[in-house]
Amino acid sequence: MGAVLAVVALIAGAYLVAVLEGWVSTGRLQPAGPLVSAAALLSRESVVPRSPDRIFFEVAPPLLLVSAVLAAAVLPLAPGLIVADLATGALFVNAALTFVMVALVMAGWGPDGAYAMVGGFRFLGQLVGYSMLIVMPITAVAMRAESLLTTDIVASQAALPNAVYQPLGLATFFLAGMMVCFLPPFDLAVARGELAGGVEAEYSGWRLATFRAGRAVLIVTVATATSVFYFGGWLGPVLPPWAWGGLKALAVAAVMLAIGAFVPRIKEEQLLAACWKVGIPLALFNIFYVGVLLITVGG
Amino acid sequence: MSAGAQARAAASISGAREGRPSALRKLLARAAARDLAALVVPGPEVARAAGLDLEAAGLSLAAGPRQASVLVALGHPAGLPEALERAAEVAYAQMLRPRAVLTVGTEGLASLPFDARCEPDQESLAVAIDNVRRAFREGAFTEETEDFEAPALETRTIYTCSMHPEIEQEESGQCPRCGMDLIPKESAGGEAGTHHDHGTHVDHGTHEPGGHEQHSNEADEHADHDTDASDGGHADGEHDHGGHEEMGFMSMVEMTQGTPRSSDGLQMEWVDAPFGPLLPGLPGGLSLSLTLDGDTVAEAEASAQTGGAEKLLHGPASGLTERLSGLDPLSPITYRLLATLALEDAAGASVTEDERLRRIAALELERAASHAGWISGFAYLLGLDLLRHDAARLELRLRRLLAESLEPESIDHGKLPSLAAGLSRRLNTSRLLRARLRGVGALKADEAAGVGGPVSRAAGRREDLRSGDAIYAALGFEPIVENGSDALARLRLRAAEMGQSLSLARDALHKSGSPGREIGAARTLFYGSGSASVETPRGAATLSLTVDSGEIAEARLEVPSKAALALARTVAERRELGDALVGVASLDISPWGLG
Repeated sequence: MGAVLAVVALIAGAYLVAVLEGWVSTGRLQPAGPLVSAAALLSRESVVPRSPDRIFFEVAPPLLLVSAVLAAAVLPLAPGLIVADLATGALFVNAALTFVMVALVMAGWGPDGAYAMVGGFRFLGQLVGYSMLIVMPITAVAMRAESLLTTDIVASQAALPNAVYQPLGLATFFLAGMMVCFLPPFDLAVARGELAGGVEAEYSGWRLATFRAGRAVLIVTVATATSVFYFGGWLGPVLPPWAWGGLKALAVAAVMLAIGAFVPRIKEEQLLAACWKVGIPLALFNIFYVGVLLITVGG
Repeated sequence: MSAGAQARAAASISGAREGRPSALRKLLARAAARDLAALVVPGPEVARAAGLDLEAAGLSLAAGPRQASVLVALGHPAGLPEALERAAEVAYAQMLRPRAVLTVGTEGLASLPFDARCEPDQESLAVAIDNVRRAFREGAFTEETEDFEAPALETRTIYTCSMHPEIEQEESGQCPRCGMDLIPKESAGGEAGTHHDHGTHVDHGTHEPGGHEQHSNEADEHADHDTDASDGGHADGEHDHGGHEEMGFMSMVEMTQGTPRSSDGLQMEWVDAPFGPLLPGLPGGLSLSLTLDGDTVAEAEASAQTGGAEKLLHGPASGLTERLSGLDPLSPITYRLLATLALEDAAGASVTEDERLRRIAALELERAASHAGWISGFAYLLGLDLLRHDAARLELRLRRLLAESLEPESIDHGKLPSLAAGLSRRLNTSRLLRARLRGVGALKADEAAGVGGPVSRAAGRREDLRSGDAIYAALGFEPIVENGSDALARLRLRAAEMGQSLSLARDALHKSGSPGREIGAARTLFYGSGSASVETPRGAATLSLTVDSGEIAEARLEVPSKAALALARTVAERRELGDALVGVASLDISPWGLG
């Protein structure tokens, strides 16, 4: 039952994220917007380019959706509202999110078009930048919880959320999360003005609808992960746990979506330089710092 | 229905999707009608320059033809330039059904179907879009559909060897040299040199194009490049085919032998990709043909797909101002003024100071509008949505002001100078913008020297025709300069000039006293010759002409973007793709009049 409710919550979350994204990009709040857009996409033809790598082309959109759903499966919305409380949950999130890169590179290579290909390879480069910044902050979070169970991680923040306990970890994880979701300003793979949609450029109709749905679920997943790892997930006064879990995840997603409107798209070289020269040292320092805190002050 | 808008009288849209209009499909069609995305030909900046706000009228801007459902074609009453019309055909063929065509200010395009048409004003645009919506609701699906074929997309399949691109034959088989299986290659059936804005061809007739499982066109691209390489573009670009005569097997070293090598020494497959003439991030009509080495631009070639100025220049002298105002949709008043000045020079006429002040006001307002429009387009390319909207709003207000009447109060009351100052301040203080743009599109001092306009002034040169003008001097004009000569300096310079132009326009209107009159009232001139120069938003434009029996006998027009177009290659080559596009966009090339 909990699993079914968790999936329903994920779908609802993805819908709300799509509403938010529409609000940010058009300036109009349209509660029915994603429904209309999805139906409009379904009304349109979905063609296959003339000489595609057919398997890559077909698999990429569902793979994006599947990897996002898999990562979400180990994240709790409230006690009991989780699909699978794996003993390796926190690392599983990282493993599942890796397939986002695979999906995007496949989407870039599959259609055999220059715009898509450049978009796909740009994302491969982006992964080189962000992947360490996903896994290292998770390490520090798991250190404090002394567990990889995501439910234990939430419980470990009862006294003080990780956002306060290890703010450096939050900063690196949050930005790396935006890079996973290829949200502006890290939207090098789609780069609207430059690549006419990049990895999305050759998709249309129901395939594009699948791709967009995958992206929306991915944003919810990463926002939920941020909330679970750093903001104490379902913990909070007055409101029921599921409401806190949902609100925190949505708030994180809203901030992620809003940032893009104010910031120009980053350059690939600057992204890599920032990730490796600043991000990774900070993430390593965060692990060290959390270790010292755990020994001296305690969790 | 308003007089300005017409709709096609038919039960379905021209690009309906095949299918019986069942209840579910009707529901989907209703959604499609609400969610229309436009691909604008020549480009969204042309729509804004005409005072049209497509987004306010309910169309979103599509990133490319695949995502678009309505092709919006803006043109002269006579239609679009030939090359742009070809590009529009290709884009329309790449759009997915259901799709429709809306033409604005033109009688429709010869080769494209049409669904609605309207005059270039916001009101009839809104009516026309409503008509398109209704047509989508009622006729997005029909049982029978018409095929649309773009001649430029017709292809012929030949078979070639991946190692020996000179082998070409009509049937499949083995390569006579190395015995490898030949691979199919498509060549365009349309006229040579037609650039279209997408890398891949799509077959709309068949949804399952025969299971090509492999990436067969790598060899094509390679082969394409190979032919380019022999023109001396790079020294080591020539294949030596002599050595492979009896080969059945080839090692990787041999395969890449002699293929072009990029600056980092890596040998990669080079891919030719067209950007434009309809890429929303670049000015419509500007076509960039890039050879990509990974995501680095190895070779770049820029061209204008707008047909040139020749046709407009010749004809009766009395209609010249009108014709020339249609030359560049991004700065119509400037070119109208240029024609007026040249004709006045030929006639030896002089005008009052009041009139000259009013002309300066119009010219400066158009400069401010043009810069605001450029900032909006540039923000789109950079992924800065907020800035894009704000700059577009400012541009639209300025363009509409120009179309109405010129009063000093309308500039002050609209708080336009403070809006412009606010934009400028934002651009100057953003550190992220500085990090993104510094060094991008950099030009050496001597390269930027000949271009004129903001590109030169951003390189610290005081090249400005206005500095020699007594009336400008009386208004306290001093050219603004920036040092840096990169995309950042150009952005800041244009933002600062926008504010300067607004104050100049306001002061000029205050001084002139009497209300504005339209520039270039028709003058009858039978004989004479003269010339004039105007500092356009992009630099100096010069027109010299000779009139004989009321007809233009000789005319020469120098447009400022000619020099900027030549620099596109310099700022794009050996740059990362994103930087190359930003660099080219920072030059603010107007392809109009270049041909």
